[in-house]
Amino acid sequence: MADTRKFNRREVISKGLSLGLIAGGAVILGKPDFLAAKEKPAGIPDLVAVKNGEPDAMFKKAIELMGGMEQFVKKGQTVVVKPNIGFPRVPEVGATTNPLLIKTIIESCYTAGAKRVYVFDNVVTPTSGNARNCYKLSGIEDAAKAARGIIVPVDDFSYREVTIPGGKKLKTADVHSLILDCDVFINAPVLKHHSSTHLSIAMKNLMGIVKNRMEYHLIGLDQCIADFCLYRKPDLNIVDAYRVLMSQGPAGPSNPQSANIQMKKTLLMSKDIVAVDAAAARIFGKEPEDISYIKIAHAQKTGNMNLKELKIVTFAM
Amino acid sequence: MTLIKIRKVMSGIILILFILLFMGPEKLSVGLSDILLPFQFVPALVQAITQPGALFIAGLIFILLITLVFGRVYCSFLCPLGTLQDLLIAGSRRLGLQPKHPFSKPHNGLRYTLLALTAMAILIGSLSLVSLIDPYSLTGRIFAHFLQPLIIQTYNLGIMALKPFDLYWYPKQTAFVPLSVLAVTAGFFLLILYLAATRGRLYCNTVCPVGTFLGLLSRVSIFQFMLNQKACSECVRCANVCKAGCIDPQNASIDMSRCVGCFNCLNACSQATISYQRRQRQTNIDTWSPARRGFIIGGVAASAAGLLAFNANIRAFLGADSARVNPPVTPPGSLNTTRFTQTCTACSLCVSVCPTQVLTPTFMDFGVSGLLQPKMNYEKSFCDYECNVCCKVCPTGALMPLSLDDKKLTQIGEAELLKDICVVFVDHNNCGACGEVCPTHAIRFVDKENILYPEIDKQYCIGCGACQLACPTVPRSIVVHTNAVHKKAEKYPYNLAPPRVTPKSSDGQHISPEKTVEQKKPPDKDFPF
Repeated sequence: MADTRKFNRREVISKGLSLGLIAGGAVILGKPDFLAAKEKPAGIPDLVAVKNGEPDAMFKKAIELMGGMEQFVKKGQTVVVKPNIGFPRVPEVGATTNPLLIKTIIESCYTAGAKRVYVFDNVVTPTSGNARNCYKLSGIEDAAKAARGIIVPVDDFSYREVTIPGGKKLKTADVHSLILDCDVFINAPVLKHHSSTHLSIAMKNLMGIVKNRMEYHLIGLDQCIADFCLYRKPDLNIVDAYRVLMSQGPAGPSNPQSANIQMKKTLLMSKDIVAVDAAAARIFGKEPEDISYIKIAHAQKTGNMNLKELKIVTFAM
Repeated sequence: MTLIKIRKVMSGIILILFILLFMGPEKLSVGLSDILLPFQFVPALVQAITQPGALFIAGLIFILLITLVFGRVYCSFLCPLGTLQDLLIAGSRRLGLQPKHPFSKPHNGLRYTLLALTAMAILIGSLSLVSLIDPYSLTGRIFAHFLQPLIIQTYNLGIMALKPFDLYWYPKQTAFVPLSVLAVTAGFFLLILYLAATRGRLYCNTVCPVGTFLGLLSRVSIFQFMLNQKACSECVRCANVCKAGCIDPQNASIDMSRCVGCFNCLNACSQATISYQRRQRQTNIDTWSPARRGFIIGGVAASAAGLLAFNANIRAFLGADSARVNPPVTPPGSLNTTRFTQTCTACSLCVSVCPTQVLTPTFMDFGVSGLLQPKMNYEKSFCDYECNVCCKVCPTGALMPLSLDDKKLTQIGEAELLKDICVVFVDHNNCGACGEVCPTHAIRFVDKENILYPEIDKQYCIGCGACQLACPTVPRSIVVHTNAVHKKAEKYPYNLAPPRVTPKSSDGQHISPEKTVEQKKPPDKDFPF
């Protein structure tokens, strides 16, 4: 464990050093290509997809195409960034959101004038035992703290019950008070294989803000995942598809050498949680309508999974 | 003066180290367990018999040697329960509950009977009695069942108070302890509290089998306390400070079998009538018969126990393991249920260090012969795949020090899927909670019309209980049954990933993180939408 973490830190540092070059190159080489290829759309696009960059550079490009973080975070607001930190895994396994991406999102929020940026996830207890392992191993604790993000370990006392309007199976949920009290909620999931729902993306990531997640499993997982979005949709969804776990999800193997990873080097961003899940499913190589909760959420008018009907801005670095 | 100071400092340090052993983070506990536990009599004895290792045999020889040379100094320097009682005794003296310790007669009948019974119980393969009264195990349970929860709950309350200020710390969990076990621990703790507060070291000289056994050796120790009858003014100052109540100034005798070697008397005597010196040959050890008889009984019983304990067949013949219909799952490293119940003295050290609190001390789950021994409690928690800390700290060898790699392939139990109540099979809804948390990929999913049905590949299952804990149904649809004899699980073949996934990249190579960083191909610029 200690060795893999050391390796991880080293990798992060080396990436950090090479970032200047990559980002600079992206700006010089990428921008003319973009200008030539597509026109900047008027207003905010429904979905932005960026590929072939490092997580931070792709995020910066995507948020620029979205119209800037100022569209979402106003001065003095409190923000919650909710990554997937559900499992005690190093970033190389692809089971958790990329720490560099989380760091860049937090920085961007503060630049836009955020007062406080919180980061938390309700970890999957029967794999990790405690949040400390997950937060540390995923690299997200260190990354978030480096960007002045406030890491919040969840406990049983922080939840309040809410009613789901129109929930077909999920009638109530115990939601973390940070989500209920924050001004801006940014959902930052990782795209990965999932043994019970085929894929885990943005909607599935919201199971980490409720306490009664096991009730979902009991009464109908896909329906409950879709139902929760009737209560509150995130203000922005940023899907990390940089390093994608293609099998043995959601946890993946503890040894990154055994992880079945594809470097998709992609980042998706949308206000529409259904659209972003649909696009991510395509990136993974699946059709959105084969993923039950995407289909249900589309039918419940939470969002639009028909990507053809959407204004999508793509950018390859 | 100096001897007392040395004792106070040393025993104080050892008691603090013991508290850290039970409270500390994993690494500290593992480090301390190697330093402290070989020098505890009962763990060293059990480990030397069942799992002979140089460290614990050396520890046992050390304890026997220092007793034969200096008397029962073990009880005042090394025993954490002894130090705990000394603190209570000092406290009660401050409060005036027990200002003096007059000479008292020994309870020879009781103490030698208890020693003999303990030896006999060990002989027939039950550690129940020794678990209950052994000072180390008893201290362990007091620390693990009372002190640790107290400290952790205080800590949790403290960090709760910091939350409104945006200061977040990780809360800590405490192990679940059943009420029956708590009652036993509380009962003994109150007994110790009462005896120490009112009668000094009476527990050590009446109940404790280690005290009684070392007392037998102490009677013939090289150095002994002597009372010079001619010079003594019978001021009884020495007797008043004797916590063991073993100085009889009237008869100018000191009962070395009960002297705990605290050196208080040396300092109390104004005329230096009490001395600590080499035993003279002619001292009258044969004037007092009950102790001598006890010595013989103890010696015979101990040697018989020692001989028989080696022979598993004899122990089994004598009814070692009580027949049980549904025995609980035993921790990794215990090898098999019988061996575990015959080696564990229920000190609860594993319970207190387990990071997932899956270990629960039980009252009678292992039968009468295995009182208070811990089990894997999958209704409360699960065994962390990446952890083998219980194996590393166990002082008696009940849990063998399995390496993490070995532990990851040790099948302590086997999961069974009850398809008649599993929600996926009953409702045809996706659930998969069990598969999400399975660390060995023993649970795979079969896709039928887009519903994922769980199946167990038992050869990969190690019985960690994560699936049982995660299962949302009541009662659980997946349960772990014990392996009475632990087995070896198969290693999951990652390179032979299930057919429904595509583990190869476009160029046919299995992608590892290192390789992909240095991909030279021009990047694909198309999006699938």
